[in-house]
Amino acid sequence: MKRVGVFICHCGTNIAQTVDCEKVAKMAGGLPQVAFSTDYKYMCSEPGQQVIINAVKEHRLDRVVVASCSPRMHEPTFRKTLEKAGLNPYLLEMANIREQCSWVHQDKEKGTAKAFDLVKMAVAKVLKNEPLSRSSIPIHKRALVIGGGIAGIQAALDIADAGYVVDIVEKEPTIGGRMAQIDKTFPTMDCSACILTPKMVDAASNPNINLLTYCEVEKVDGYVGNFDVTIRHKARSVDMNKCTGCGTCWEKCPTRVASEFDMGLGTRKAIYTPFPQAVPNKPVIDRENCLYFKTGKCGVCQKVCPTGAVDYTQEDRLETVRYGAIVVATGFDLFDESVYGEYGYGRYPDIISGLHFERMINASGPTMGKIKRPSDHTEPKTVVFVKCVGSRDEAKGKPYCSKTCCMYTAKHATLVREKIKDSQAIVFYMDVRTPGKNYDEFYQRAVNEYGVQYVRGRVSKIYQSHGKLIVRGEDTLLGRPVEVEADMVVLATAMVARGDAGELARKLGISYDQHDFFTEAHPKLRPVETHTAGVYLAGTCQGPKDIPDSVAQASAAAAKVCALLSREEMPTEPVVSAVNEAVCSGCGLCISICPYKAIELKTISERVHGKTRERQVASVNTGLCQGCGACTVACRSGALNLKGFTNEQILAEVDALCL
Amino acid sequence: MKEITQKMRDTARELLSSGQVALVLGWEKGYPWYKSAPTFIDKVEDVERLVFDEFCHNNLSKYLLDLAAVDGKVALFVKGCDSRGVNRLIQDNQVKREQLYIIGIPCPGLKDPDDAAGKNWGDEINGAVKCQDCRFPNPVVYDLLLGEKVPAVERGRETRELIERLEKMKPDERYEFWAGQFNRCIRCYACRNICPACNCRECVFDRAVPEWLGKANNLVENQFMQLTRAIHVAGRCIECGECERACPVNIPLMALNRKIINDIEELFGEEPAGLDPEKKTPLGRFELDDPEKFM
Repeated sequence: MKRVGVFICHCGTNIAQTVDCEKVAKMAGGLPQVAFSTDYKYMCSEPGQQVIINAVKEHRLDRVVVASCSPRMHEPTFRKTLEKAGLNPYLLEMANIREQCSWVHQDKEKGTAKAFDLVKMAVAKVLKNEPLSRSSIPIHKRALVIGGGIAGIQAALDIADAGYVVDIVEKEPTIGGRMAQIDKTFPTMDCSACILTPKMVDAASNPNINLLTYCEVEKVDGYVGNFDVTIRHKARSVDMNKCTGCGTCWEKCPTRVASEFDMGLGTRKAIYTPFPQAVPNKPVIDRENCLYFKTGKCGVCQKVCPTGAVDYTQEDRLETVRYGAIVVATGFDLFDESVYGEYGYGRYPDIISGLHFERMINASGPTMGKIKRPSDHTEPKTVVFVKCVGSRDEAKGKPYCSKTCCMYTAKHATLVREKIKDSQAIVFYMDVRTPGKNYDEFYQRAVNEYGVQYVRGRVSKIYQSHGKLIVRGEDTLLGRPVEVEADMVVLATAMVARGDAGELARKLGISYDQHDFFTEAHPKLRPVETHTAGVYLAGTCQGPKDIPDSVAQASAAAAKVCALLSREEMPTEPVVSAVNEAVCSGCGLCISICPYKAIELKTISERVHGKTRERQVASVNTGLCQGCGACTVACRSGALNLKGFTNEQILAEVDALCL
Repeated sequence: MKEITQKMRDTARELLSSGQVALVLGWEKGYPWYKSAPTFIDKVEDVERLVFDEFCHNNLSKYLLDLAAVDGKVALFVKGCDSRGVNRLIQDNQVKREQLYIIGIPCPGLKDPDDAAGKNWGDEINGAVKCQDCRFPNPVVYDLLLGEKVPAVERGRETRELIERLEKMKPDERYEFWAGQFNRCIRCYACRNICPACNCRECVFDRAVPEWLGKANNLVENQFMQLTRAIHVAGRCIECGECERACPVNIPLMALNRKIINDIEELFGEEPAGLDPEKKTPLGRFELDDPEKFM
């Protein structure tokens, strides 16, 4: 005879106002094999947990049902309580009478009846529960950071400072990311390079950090503590060991192409470093544009290189490294503003995006920090800024707010007013959102001290007339149409996920939302973790963020990585799939269905008709298995069973409700 | 057909006498005259039992599941549908291609044994329902092909007409129809036992723990069993029609299977089961561009 204890939580009034908790406790007391039942105001509180511990001892309970909130919220809490009470933590069952009952019903009588049904099911299930035990897996003490922007650099520095080796994989020839393209940073107007480049150098010189620039993640195998990551070292055509970064090669290179780093406003050579402060300051050859690779003639860079570092024969190289943890910090792309045909982007050269403006205003940028119209290189006197281009626009763009545009537009407008004394800066806006520290003060200064004009309303059309850009919109505060003759227009384009974000997510086995931003395990309580253990998120790959947010999150992710790497071994979750080999026919359907690559076939021997025969059966890697249960549903034979959620347990619940 | 029969015997004799195979799976003449039963031949002197006629309904691929203890290769004769059954089992990792010697027979379409009952040899007999809209009369995999390939021809539309009729019904009417059919089910499991897609080591219907299916023969349990069966073979049914032929109470099971095949092909593109042994079945794999019409 089993002895079940049932504990009904009021959750203050969260549950108690729709559920008669006392009554449910009394009714639960009458269920078969229930030896004790009670209710309490806050079951998760310390005295609440003590109620459970005392009852377990006093009434010799061997199984516990807690009817309260979602197990996602407090299952770990109550498992610990059971452990303290001397029971196996998996002899716990939770009935969610808050989210599934009190929060979705108003009628107290019906709510009470439903709460009892849920308790009844939990009691039926807990009677079938078996004690489960954790095993442990070793942790490989090395971390991988994917993406060498400010978030990746910060995470790597923090992990390295804790004494662990960390590799940064960056697909560009240099680390620095988007922040390196930015000129000034709000709200302090620090020069971006001044605060970023020392960090880049720190990363390069830290003995615990390896910079794998011009590299990409090809494949990710394994599981938390033991990821085997295949990294593609793209052919740089330059021997990193021999090159001193003297720059002779790119000075002499005859080929000029538009610079991606300067957003096409400037040019670079075919052998190049993206910008002067690049780390490592060693060039790569862009094979698509290089004369030598296109025609076989030229070879100037090789001839002039004093150390003989240029090597045209280099090929992509694959390397597999084992890591304990992975931080994803792959950053963002900008929304394709040409979707807004009425804004004329791409048709009129003087309509640029915010990032173009950043390059233009940058002292080492293509115009040496001068604000010039791209069309005729004259100084614009009237600059119009259009906010929310792509953001907050479900029809054409993205429904979400890109978070940084309000602030960087205020910054741009301030800079226009500062650099061009007789200028006019006009901002068309929907809302101004300034929720950061000192952000609103910054915006107010742009308006009050720098005289930036803010016009509330969406721009409907921009067109060119007599060398001017006519910006047509509506001032919704005055309720009348406005028309501005501008010399230049800056579109504050939305932040969007990287084009290849989905592909990377699939390699890593992490989830992403409808906009391809990677999703965190819990928006409030686990904001830097993913659903895949050992994979963490930092920066804008998770959603729009500004620099302080990205850095804070990167440090948070690093802290999680350090906590993981500080252990020799980590306990595994025992709620994993198990194979009944006698029933398994080895069809392998579970293998293709498993999102974590946790199942493979193994060969077993058995006696058939007096002879030894070999056959294949499924085998679960308990380190990789996340207990999602997909395989148990896919298996026609029912050979797979999820511990803690076995078919018998689920059927017991169904029977409790239906029979 | 006499010619094919002769070729079958010659081939089997050669395979067995040369030791290339240990066992030959084929058909022999049964009783009454309109039944041809599966036969297992491991001695050269028995090859004369082999026949191929218009009543060789049995899909021999199913028997491969029972032949794990045979040392050496197994030869079997396959019609178009049976050959897809072989691929089906290879796909499910139940047999290995290299353990088989497959002898293909282009199938002219078989006759209905129920219609032949009471008639004499030489009388006009209706074509088998299962062959009516056969899309693959020629074997899709073989080591040796006996005879010339035949074109796919439509011989009737009984099953398709039933599906069309069912699709037009209101849900309640459709329920009534199937309830009427499943009410007659005696749960003999002939449909399961004869099906090459039913290759679990232990069928869920036979398991005691958990007892998915009760032992009582009533409509609820029958429906549960029949719908589970249909879903378990979904995307894997090779349209051999054996389940419907074997059913002693004539439940139109192929209407259920065929409807699911139509739906899968509409959703995931033309993808008849058992053509490519390497490829996972449409319901057993995930692709990013899979349609999600229900969302």
